[in-house]
Amino acid sequence: MTVTLLPSPSEEQAMLLDASVRFMEAAVPLATVRERADGADHDDAGYRRAAAELGWFGLLADEARGGGSASGNGVLDAALVAAERGARLQPGPYPGHSAVVHALDAAAAVGAEHEQVLGELVSGAAWATWAFDSGASCELRAVDRGLELHGEVPVVAEADLCAWLLVTARSADGLTQVLVPADAAGVTVRRLEGLDVSRHWGAVRFDGVAVGAGDLVGTAGPASERLVAEQARLAAVLTAAESVGTMRADLDAAVQYAKDRVAFGRPIGSFQAVKHLLADLSLWAEMATGLVVAAATSLGHGDAGGPEQAHAAKAFVAEKGIEVAHGCFQVFGGIGYTWEHDQHLHLRRLAADAESFGSAAWHRSQLLDAAGVSR
Amino acid sequence: MTGTDRPDLDSYRAAARVWIEANLVRRPTAEAPRRKPWEIEEQTPEELAEQRALQRRLHEGGYAGITWPVEYGGQGLTREHERAFLDEAAGYVLPDLGIAGGATFGVCAPTMLAHASREFLRRHIPRVLAGELIVSQFFSDPDAGSDLAAVRTQAVRDGDRWILNGSKIWSSGAYYADAGMCLARTNWDVPKHRGLTWFLVPTDARGLTIERIRQINGDSEFCQEFLDDVELTDDDVIGEVNGGWTVTQTMLLYERGAGSAGGGSAAHTGLRADLAELLAEVGTDDPQVLDLVARNHVDDLARAALGRRLLALMTADPTSAGSLASYGKLASGVLDPVRANRMMEIAGHRALAWGEPSEAGAHAALGLLNSRFMAIAGGTSQMQRNTIGERVLGLPREPSFDRSKPFREVVRDARNWSGAVG
Repeated sequence: MTVTLLPSPSEEQAMLLDASVRFMEAAVPLATVRERADGADHDDAGYRRAAAELGWFGLLADEARGGGSASGNGVLDAALVAAERGARLQPGPYPGHSAVVHALDAAAAVGAEHEQVLGELVSGAAWATWAFDSGASCELRAVDRGLELHGEVPVVAEADLCAWLLVTARSADGLTQVLVPADAAGVTVRRLEGLDVSRHWGAVRFDGVAVGAGDLVGTAGPASERLVAEQARLAAVLTAAESVGTMRADLDAAVQYAKDRVAFGRPIGSFQAVKHLLADLSLWAEMATGLVVAAATSLGHGDAGGPEQAHAAKAFVAEKGIEVAHGCFQVFGGIGYTWEHDQHLHLRRLAADAESFGSAAWHRSQLLDAAGVSR
Repeated sequence: MTGTDRPDLDSYRAAARVWIEANLVRRPTAEAPRRKPWEIEEQTPEELAEQRALQRRLHEGGYAGITWPVEYGGQGLTREHERAFLDEAAGYVLPDLGIAGGATFGVCAPTMLAHASREFLRRHIPRVLAGELIVSQFFSDPDAGSDLAAVRTQAVRDGDRWILNGSKIWSSGAYYADAGMCLARTNWDVPKHRGLTWFLVPTDARGLTIERIRQINGDSEFCQEFLDDVELTDDDVIGEVNGGWTVTQTMLLYERGAGSAGGGSAAHTGLRADLAELLAEVGTDDPQVLDLVARNHVDDLARAALGRRLLALMTADPTSAGSLASYGKLASGVLDPVRANRMMEIAGHRALAWGEPSEAGAHAALGLLNSRFMAIAGGTSQMQRNTIGERVLGLPREPSFDRSKPFREVVRDARNWSGAVG
């Protein structure tokens, strides 16, 4: 099964997706996702490198820096990959990693450093993620010896897998960004129990982490604000794309169950009460799919409508993703309440995605700004 | 006409441009004074006569029915020729025959072209093109709407005549139409889908009464017809006698096609006009108002994206177009009322009562009254959910109590409904 985000993908996109699906089903099938939920480790280094060979991490980087898209629109290609990942509850911080690749690629394009780290990220040698915090509570302070990073990002997906963390911080020069090695002195990643058991969760603390000028990404102030906004839209769209994959997988399973399960002498899917619920859920799935494709397409093309589409996509998918999971749960009935059934994995994933990289309410507020509603 | 007889697009376009400049009037550049939201939209008989004359001019110039067969007064050209003409005519006034005119050219005449006899089409289609025959749809019965195959308006054969009795309802613009395309039962002793026939009924036929229905928004576009021994002949039959369901399916396809055309608009930026106007009047101080505005904007963008996705899905698999169109209609049916409710909440007291300067509140109020239109007209949201459930998701069908027995028995058994089967 592939998630048909595009009814007619290009030949290159189709090859990317076919190979990616084969890889995921062999490397981390649902059985492995479940083992991870019970505490076992999967072969993360192997997963990263194989995914990199498929091209997952270079889609948003320039060809001169080892990247390259499949279709000419790297954001759309990444969204296609993300949707297939979401359908299979795959590990790794793909949206956050992609946001870091974008940030480093944008910085490299203007002659800044980080080309080596960018190379590690594109080649799958390491994971990075963006320690996103819509409250922007981290701070970069000037001290005698130079600069120090302070603060805490309360929840970061797959933080323990990451070798690099991109941190957005306030500073005397305005908003700025810092690339921090996860093993730097003063960085603490504390494992947390999480709602979504298919991923690891961590709180990341920065206690006076020493920051050199070479660790800064981009220029503090308005340029960083623009870059942070771009990262937020990109991470939001890729998170929404993963959710669309999860929604569609959950819905496919519920539709199949409605055909197979018999009650009162009939398949339950023949009852309008069930059929109409599933029709409504599939409408949300189609709208979510359409909006994610529209957002990824226009972000990748740099269209004027891209920011609005991106914030709308995250806001819509965050709410409808959970609604779809609730509706499917109702179709499954009691069996959905068991650990053995996949329903809870889908519900957990969709609820966690809804909050990750900005809640529906946060994105609605960003949407108004992007739409030019002055307050 | 063979392909070689057709003018190439460039010379066609050039000739059209010359004709348009000589024969059509430019649309005024300044926006016409807008009607107040509470004023009713309706052409006067004089305005309608002007529009009919304009349609005749288009026909005489050779620019009506561009894709329709030459035999029936059309031009026998391609969709590309039609698009070229419309491109060239974009800044000019084209005929507007109102809502029944839209039904005539978009639904009724194309359906006739697909099913009626050559004699019928030779007689009627040239008059359609000349603006002389506006055809309203006499579709639903008061007793049969979503279950269209259950209409009870009947036509009984009497020698070479047909005698029609019954009532039709929700006919848009019938009060000014020249004829109605009417679905009637011609056989009660077969299952419901197999005893239906379509007729063309002149609106001045003896025994036909047309009453306008005053709608909840104050408008009176919809009509109800009463047929009291209306006499027609075999010449008025459209398609096969008792083969009316096939014709109906064609008609429904054209209806849905017309309905979904607006869904695929290009990505836009900024709030939709009505939302922006309402917000401009209400102001941006209240964060709760702003969140309602944002919620409507999210849904508006999602619906535009759905339109583009459906188009892509239909292009990839044209056989699925009929079923997929139900998503567009269901989206409107479900989300129009939600949107309207939010507009009411944003507008606050402005939507309860309004005076001259305050139009946005009136728009919100009338929007509420109109908001269930797409959830009901042309098949309720429940019908769309059945189509999606069964034909898109492949869910098993609901048991049926009326598909295999004579319609006469269906009507009788429904009166004694107990819920017991077999």
